[in-house]
Amino acid sequence: MKAVGARLPRYDGVAHVTGRTKYVADWSVQGMLACKGLRSPHHSARIVSVDTSKAEKHPGVFAVATHKDMPKNIVGHLEALGVPADEPYLAEDEVRYKGQLIGGVAAIDEATAIEALALIDVKYEVREPFLDIRKAFDPDQPQLTEKGNVFFYDPYDHRKVTKGDVDAAFEKADVIVKGSYRPSAIEQAPIEPQGCLVIPESDGRLTVHTCTQAMYFTMGVLAEHLQRAPGSIKLVGGTVGGGFGGKVDSATEPLAAVLALKARRPVRWIFTREEEMLCGSVRASWHVEIADAVTKDGWILGRKVLTLHDAGGYTRFSSYGATKHSFHLAGAYTVPALRTRAYVVWTNHVPTTAMRGFGVTSASFAVELQMTRIATMLELDPWEFRLKNANRPGDLMPTRKLLEDPSTIDTIQACAEAVGHPLSATYRDMKNEPRSGEWLPDHLRDQAANAKLGNPQGAAR
Amino acid sequence: MHLIVNGVEHEIRSDALTSLLRVLREELFVMSPKAGCEQGGCGACTVLIDGQPRRACLTPVAAIDGASVTTVEGLSDGVELAPIQQAFFDGYAAQCGFCSPGMMMAATALLAETPHASREQIMEALEGHICRCTGYVKIIAAVESVTKAGAV
Amino acid sequence: MPAPPELLTPTSPAEAAAAFGDGAGVTVLGGGTILLPELTCGRLRPARVLMVGRAGLSGIDNSNGVVRIGAATPLGELAEAPEPLATAAKHIADHEIRAVGTIGGNLCATAGDAAPRGDLQAPLLALGARVTSVGAGGEKSEDVDAFLEGGAGRLVLSIDVPGGQPFGYARLDRPHTHHYTMLAVTAVRSADGVRVAASGVGTRARRLHGVESALGGGAAPADAATHAAEGLDLPTDALASAWYREQMLPLLVQRALGQLG
Repeated sequence: MKAVGARLPRYDGVAHVTGRTKYVADWSVQGMLACKGLRSPHHSARIVSVDTSKAEKHPGVFAVATHKDMPKNIVGHLEALGVPADEPYLAEDEVRYKGQLIGGVAAIDEATAIEALALIDVKYEVREPFLDIRKAFDPDQPQLTEKGNVFFYDPYDHRKVTKGDVDAAFEKADVIVKGSYRPSAIEQAPIEPQGCLVIPESDGRLTVHTCTQAMYFTMGVLAEHLQRAPGSIKLVGGTVGGGFGGKVDSATEPLAAVLALKARRPVRWIFTREEEMLCGSVRASWHVEIADAVTKDGWILGRKVLTLHDAGGYTRFSSYGATKHSFHLAGAYTVPALRTRAYVVWTNHVPTTAMRGFGVTSASFAVELQMTRIATMLELDPWEFRLKNANRPGDLMPTRKLLEDPSTIDTIQACAEAVGHPLSATYRDMKNEPRSGEWLPDHLRDQAANAKLGNPQGAAR
Repeated sequence: MHLIVNGVEHEIRSDALTSLLRVLREELFVMSPKAGCEQGGCGACTVLIDGQPRRACLTPVAAIDGASVTTVEGLSDGVELAPIQQAFFDGYAAQCGFCSPGMMMAATALLAETPHASREQIMEALEGHICRCTGYVKIIAAVESVTKAGAV
Repeated sequence: MPAPPELLTPTSPAEAAAAFGDGAGVTVLGGGTILLPELTCGRLRPARVLMVGRAGLSGIDNSNGVVRIGAATPLGELAEAPEPLATAAKHIADHEIRAVGTIGGNLCATAGDAAPRGDLQAPLLALGARVTSVGAGGEKSEDVDAFLEGGAGRLVLSIDVPGGQPFGYARLDRPHTHHYTMLAVTAVRSADGVRVAASGVGTRARRLHGVESALGGGAAPADAATHAAEGLDLPTDALASAWYREQMLPLLVQRALGQLG
């Protein structure tokens, strides 16, 4: 145990400062070909035809691939968790976002690959895109699927959390405070663009150098796409030049692999900075509406939340992200009655994915702004208002999980001290203990029993 | 065309308008300068050209025919580290390490000209360099530690 | 594999003009900050590239009562140029970019995909600078507005900038993206009145004629500023929306005019 608390040097520190750390683009092998991907210029379009014949004949081109070359083109990242696969890796009869991959070429060098892309003739029937998640249920908007624009969490079309009697809380409130919060999409923007190098070995296996953040994940996805045994793929990871969630989608490996197998040559595909920013998946934009039932003296009695999450053209991990989001809609505070619904909405934006705090940062962003909004409206100190409603040992989370050891009170007090914000004596002396006395109002008694009141099953909409 | 890279003379065979970054990485296999954007926007490719910090991704090799180029590989033998390398190592200034070569070369140029650079001067020298991992605090502190030690 | 371009490397202004000819099929390479990324990613495949870095086109010459700035002068060497050109140049990108990017390249910069370029166009417009260029029809000297209006296809040799004029300069940066200036206003008091120009207002910098007319008619700066956006097609880009620019432009005009005194 001598490592715990000790200041240890980074095991890769010397390599980093001597320029010897190897990133995926630092690997090169003999005969390596350059890959470039063909991408949709349209937000939404039907693909009428794809003609690769001229590209295939272009001097210096070793292989061209479309969805026909992918043994299994539609593989769901979360199929094992029951989320249906909905995304063709290489577009088939439509494109749902600008930048969507349609095919690719492997050529003797990048310049030739770029030339060859221009020779692939794609005919599109451009469609009106659907871009505003607030119109998720509007039948006049373009529909991305036959079943509409909203993901189906069997048996509901949303993720719900229900606790206690929200309607009673709203009856009892002195004030209802409402707010709408719209954190925008964020690109992870690692300084290292993502990419991979796929080497077809003479024994039939594939060696894949990749900067994925999730080696086994990528191995599984790649094995499914290629319909090979996972054991036939050797993944070589290494230092990832920043990921932050943007390198978990296995965006490059399947195309590079298919081209490497077709060309029988190693193929390297590294995103350009433009691809990384415009075509690589991003943190989703969200729309979060909160209505809080509040007493004049600053207790939150109940909360209703409506969340819309922009999944982009395909589901990827969005259903999981919106689930995580839902657990955290009381924030670091105790709200005895709440009803939250989170909808995952498909749009013609780039598909969204993980980024640090996936699903949770949108909840904390909305909750914290709402807390300050309430404090402002009630003319209470925003720090003390938070302390008053802070979760404590023995409280229940929105999902009725018992909180054993939250540190909200200690944290807020420490922050107030650090920035020199004075707290009144009551709040300065507040202890992070189970509720009692003035910190145990009637509506926070018997939280477990009260959690079951109201209509826990909730209405569908 | 000729370049002297980290003290070694090379005849360059790449096309005249190939970027210095690609000449270094793909012809000479000097790998420490990185392609973060190839638009001059991130600073991961910064090297010294005749002692001056420049974006290798924006420099056509024909424009610097005969010049002396220094990269991280030229700062030391890699065993006994240069002060800036030791400072980055000791100060945890490199997380993923991708921006570090550019940062160290920009810092090296600054410290050669201004050994006792102020914090403001350090920040100005590094303002074109993006780091997505560290939040910059440890990078600036590492360069500052070299200014205080007095060695370059 | 595509054939590499023919490289022209003149060593004097006369050689540069001769090599440029009427400009047909010639791409000019100054500092490379705009051209190299286009070459590297294959978006541009020029047949002939003219490198002006060693053609004697750099430097500032004060000797004839006018400040003559060579087109290939790097932005980082404009500290002694007439204000607010010097200040505007200091705020472009970072010092590594300023060490190689040229004033000529900045003057001739076309609008970027995502953000405005050519931050020096507005100060040059307001200062009443004159551009000497060669190309079809030979050498000519004209004011910046005429040069920018005339379109691409000429090789700039030098820019004459009147010095010593009272000026005001106000700019709005987008923080965290090393000094991308989304909007900037330059006001200069010359013998013929006040000239006001803005960058970040479209595909190129523009004189704010509405403001200038109002000032000429005796309007106070605050009133003149209300005419800021007249005749402009404000862009929405990665830095700001047209709406935001429309809100901010009058404020910057007021600030710039306020500095004029």
